[in-house]
Amino acid sequence: MKKLAALLIALCMVFALAVPACAAGDKTLKVWVADAVVDFTKAQIETFMAAHPEYADYAVTVEPVGEGDAASNILTDVEAGADIFGFPQDQLSRLVAADALIELSDENAAIVAAENDAGSVSAAKMGDLTYAYPLTSDNGYFLYYDKSVVKDPSTLEAIVADCEAAGKKIYFDIRSGWYQPAFFFGAGCVLTYDTDESGAFTACNIDYASDKGLGALKALIKFTESPAFVNGSSVSNATNAAAIVDGTWDASAAKEMFGENYACAKLPTVEMNGEAVQLSGFGGFKLLGVKPQTDDEKLALCDELALYLSSGEVQLARYNEVSWGPSNLAAQADPAVQADEALSALGQQLAFAIPQGQYPGEYWGQAEALGDSIIAGDYKGADDAALMAALQAFQDTCISYAG
Amino acid sequence: MKYFFRWLGKDLKEIGITFREGDWKTKLSFLIMGFGQLLRGQIVRGIAMLALEGGLLYFIIDFGWNYLSKILTLGTVETYKEGRKTVYGDNSFLILLYGLLTLVAVFALIYLWRLNIRQNREAELRLKRGKRLPTNGEDLASLFDKNFDKTLLALPVLGIFVFTVLPIIFMICIAFTNYDATHQPPSKLFTWTGLENFKELFGIGGQGFGGTFFYVLGWTLIWAFFATFLTYFLGMAVAIMINKKGIRLKKLWRTILVMTIAVPQFVSLLYVGKMFAVDGIVNAYLLKWGWISQAIPFWQNATYARILIIVINLWIGIPYTMLIVTGLLMNIPAELYESANIDGANPLQTFWSITLPYMLFVTGPFLLTQFIGNLNNFNVIFLLNQGNPKSMALTKNAGSTDLLVTWLYKMTINDSNYKIAAVIGIMVFIVTAVISLIVYNTMPSVKDEEGFQ
Amino acid sequence: MSRKKKISNAITYVVLILISIIWLFPFVGLVLQSFRGEYGGMVDYLVPKQFSLANYQFLFGDGSKFVRWYGNTLTIAIFVAILQTLVIICVSYALSRMRFKGRKTLMNIWLVLGMFPGFLTMICLYFLLKQLGLTQEHAVPGLILISVASSGMGYYVCKGYFDTIPKSLDEAAILDGATRAQILVKMIIPMSKPIIIYTMLVAFMAPWCDYIFASYVAFGNEEGYNVAVAMTRWVWTNDYQGYFTRFCAGGILVAIPVTILFMCLQKYYVEGVTGGAVKG
Repeated sequence: MKKLAALLIALCMVFALAVPACAAGDKTLKVWVADAVVDFTKAQIETFMAAHPEYADYAVTVEPVGEGDAASNILTDVEAGADIFGFPQDQLSRLVAADALIELSDENAAIVAAENDAGSVSAAKMGDLTYAYPLTSDNGYFLYYDKSVVKDPSTLEAIVADCEAAGKKIYFDIRSGWYQPAFFFGAGCVLTYDTDESGAFTACNIDYASDKGLGALKALIKFTESPAFVNGSSVSNATNAAAIVDGTWDASAAKEMFGENYACAKLPTVEMNGEAVQLSGFGGFKLLGVKPQTDDEKLALCDELALYLSSGEVQLARYNEVSWGPSNLAAQADPAVQADEALSALGQQLAFAIPQGQYPGEYWGQAEALGDSIIAGDYKGADDAALMAALQAFQDTCISYAG
Repeated sequence: MKYFFRWLGKDLKEIGITFREGDWKTKLSFLIMGFGQLLRGQIVRGIAMLALEGGLLYFIIDFGWNYLSKILTLGTVETYKEGRKTVYGDNSFLILLYGLLTLVAVFALIYLWRLNIRQNREAELRLKRGKRLPTNGEDLASLFDKNFDKTLLALPVLGIFVFTVLPIIFMICIAFTNYDATHQPPSKLFTWTGLENFKELFGIGGQGFGGTFFYVLGWTLIWAFFATFLTYFLGMAVAIMINKKGIRLKKLWRTILVMTIAVPQFVSLLYVGKMFAVDGIVNAYLLKWGWISQAIPFWQNATYARILIIVINLWIGIPYTMLIVTGLLMNIPAELYESANIDGANPLQTFWSITLPYMLFVTGPFLLTQFIGNLNNFNVIFLLNQGNPKSMALTKNAGSTDLLVTWLYKMTINDSNYKIAAVIGIMVFIVTAVISLIVYNTMPSVKDEEGFQ
Repeated sequence: MSRKKKISNAITYVVLILISIIWLFPFVGLVLQSFRGEYGGMVDYLVPKQFSLANYQFLFGDGSKFVRWYGNTLTIAIFVAILQTLVIICVSYALSRMRFKGRKTLMNIWLVLGMFPGFLTMICLYFLLKQLGLTQEHAVPGLILISVASSGMGYYVCKGYFDTIPKSLDEAAILDGATRAQILVKMIIPMSKPIIIYTMLVAFMAPWCDYIFASYVAFGNEEGYNVAVAMTRWVWTNDYQGYFTRFCAGGILVAIPVTILFMCLQKYYVEGVTGGAVKG
């Protein structure tokens, strides 16, 4: 019984201790960023706080929360989540729909619009309202390859042949709704959604179920049938790779993996319906958001801090630290950024890519379904009619997510 | 229902009689709980009653009523903006959660009040008959003797109530609301919608996703069946091999197998999952040795993935069965085997006619719990391949190896679709309950609980 | 006859050796990878080209909060092991030894409750814990509370064991004037050492695997993570390129204490699962 009593007392103590700790004032500010930039962000916030003594009584904490997980995490409990957080743009609509973001003030929206490239500004918008601060303009993909294996990175057929001959692999994540459209968009198909200001999807523009889409699907199927093809887009999960379609965030990992044979280029061309087609894809952006605040002073601090963290000078510093490609026009013009090998490959590729708009969460799952079906060989030897039926089904499902 | 009203009538009558026949102490106890007990010298009971009344009333009035009063609408005050500052309105989620909690508190108060009245009545009757009341010391002592069960169970029952029962009631309620991605507290309200979500599931009036539901349900059942029985029989085979006469190093074999139980699954399963990736080590060695010419897409092909998951589950599950069977094999009377040997039965025959029936009889309940555990076996599926691969034929993000539980987990985490997840949760419960009921009622070894003592 | 037996034994040995290889292979792989010196991502060979302790050094270095996560998990495991065992003993004793009104009903209700998919209630539990201030950086006591609070329902094995202790012993003790509480503390508990060790062992092992709920309660706060939450990020999140060998090293460190403990107490574990399986 003594133990039971001790248990009771222990529990009471835990409660007594914990409750006031939680209720402690609202002078704290939480920031979530990717693990790679935690230290960088901490240092920048210190600089900011030093320049703004009026906010000296605020304690700012920085936690590493993967940008991909940020939306899921903050939606668990908006009130306990971060005040300022970084996220990839594809989560914008989900966050806006759940009111987890506050729109920018008119002044800040004007600054953001003036200083950043057009794609990133439109990516931060829902309808006419700007909901986030652009952070990077490098969420696109291109080709990393091993110079000693891949002689000619300009056509997919040549790359695949080189890899096959060397017994090496080419990685391309056709399962992902982000990489997969490289084929379809390259063929000239479209897939975009219209949204209103509340984050709801009003219309879907898609023409996958067409001759162009059919060509893209056939090219995908042919590509996956090569023994050199492996589905994937993460350097650290790639084994025996000679080529990988990936983004700038993996640049240092790719350098380490390929060593002195490291090279990068825009995506290759692929033969569809008898002609060479340049692969396209998405140009995406990372954004920094502020959640709704119940206190004017804290909101003002969040606004200023977010603006500062996404400013040109910090973006440039961030590039120097972790090589994230800036969205700020002045930072993009910096000679160091201009000279970056990976970023210039991305730049060339982005000329063929479309700026990523808003997509409903279900779209990514649906794209994975299509990708899985292709990789699993469901369409092996299927005739045109069967493939067209699959594309039609995909298109219909995509349309059903809007409105 | 009829019985309930009859019981209620009887109870009300008794309360009436208590009030009419009671003295002023009892009458006042109707308002101030524990008053009569205190005045009659039962200080412990009196204080306990009074404290409980005070605490519950304080909780209900100070905290709970605010939520309980809105439970029918789940809140009406919208969140709005004052300049750029956000002013949060009602939080439907908290209204439902704390509303339920308050409702429970109200019932507890009514129950305690009834208990309080009964105690007063009993005390009064006892005194009238000239008997003495139990003293404070006796009351306390009985908590460690005659009423020890109440002491022992109080905390566990309370804990289960608050942290298991209440959340389950809450989730059942969610199934009748429109709590989803576009109705998320604290900024958005959600409200009651009746049977809408169930209609959506079965496709009544609109595009349902019943097809996907039954597909996932089908695989859940197939998986649970194979995961349970394959591990059971193979585990038994391994145990029999290890325990075979003339086999040495019994302990070593056992220890090797038992590693999979000891190493935390998030380590072992994540690693094993990677081993079987297209570019993983298994494919790499098969290619190097020239056994295959092209990597096998273990996780990309639905059929391969399903088979592989069952096989990997054997790796996890066989050691458990092996341990259990090892313990039980010793219990089988040796004479049975001897007489079988004399009859000239071969090992297979003895297995079929002696070992297996015995095992099935004794481990029936174990098999049932294993089966139910496998229906909800989240870890194996989730850590290995998250329910992939997906298929164009399935909606709502379901994959070919998704169990109902992993599917509803994805719905809550990735899509914030709580209402549908709750509906599926209820379905999982129904499936589990039906299977358990059928099996439980046909199993010989569970019927007579007292028989073991 | 004897030759036949020899052949059959030989076959058995071959099968057992094969099984052992299959069972040990992933663990050997895990250990080898954890010592790999070259690039930390996935590779398609088993034996590292160079061995190094760098992965372990990383875990204990400044760049990682691994020690903190490990401490969190260990704290949770120890507290859960002690408190959960206490709760289970209390419940099992009451249900096994005492007959009271509503006993059957209680047991049936608990049986039914166990059929609801547990983590559906996660979000609800999160807000209950939040009300108590036990989320995010205070997740550790919160996780202990949740594990212990609902542990009463896992009484089957322990109650089954108590059931096998003859009731006549209790009756004799009562005649000698012992109270129920004294019977539990002085008689039943000392007689139930194996099952208590089993209960503690099982309770101790569970928190090491708790990924889902722990990640939910501690979201966005590294201070409150346990090893499972912190380390699965290294495999699943793109932010952690080349962390695979570190994951393996961390996994080994997590596995070692649990495995050693398990091996030492294996005897009790077998007794527990066997008894539990028979009783259901």
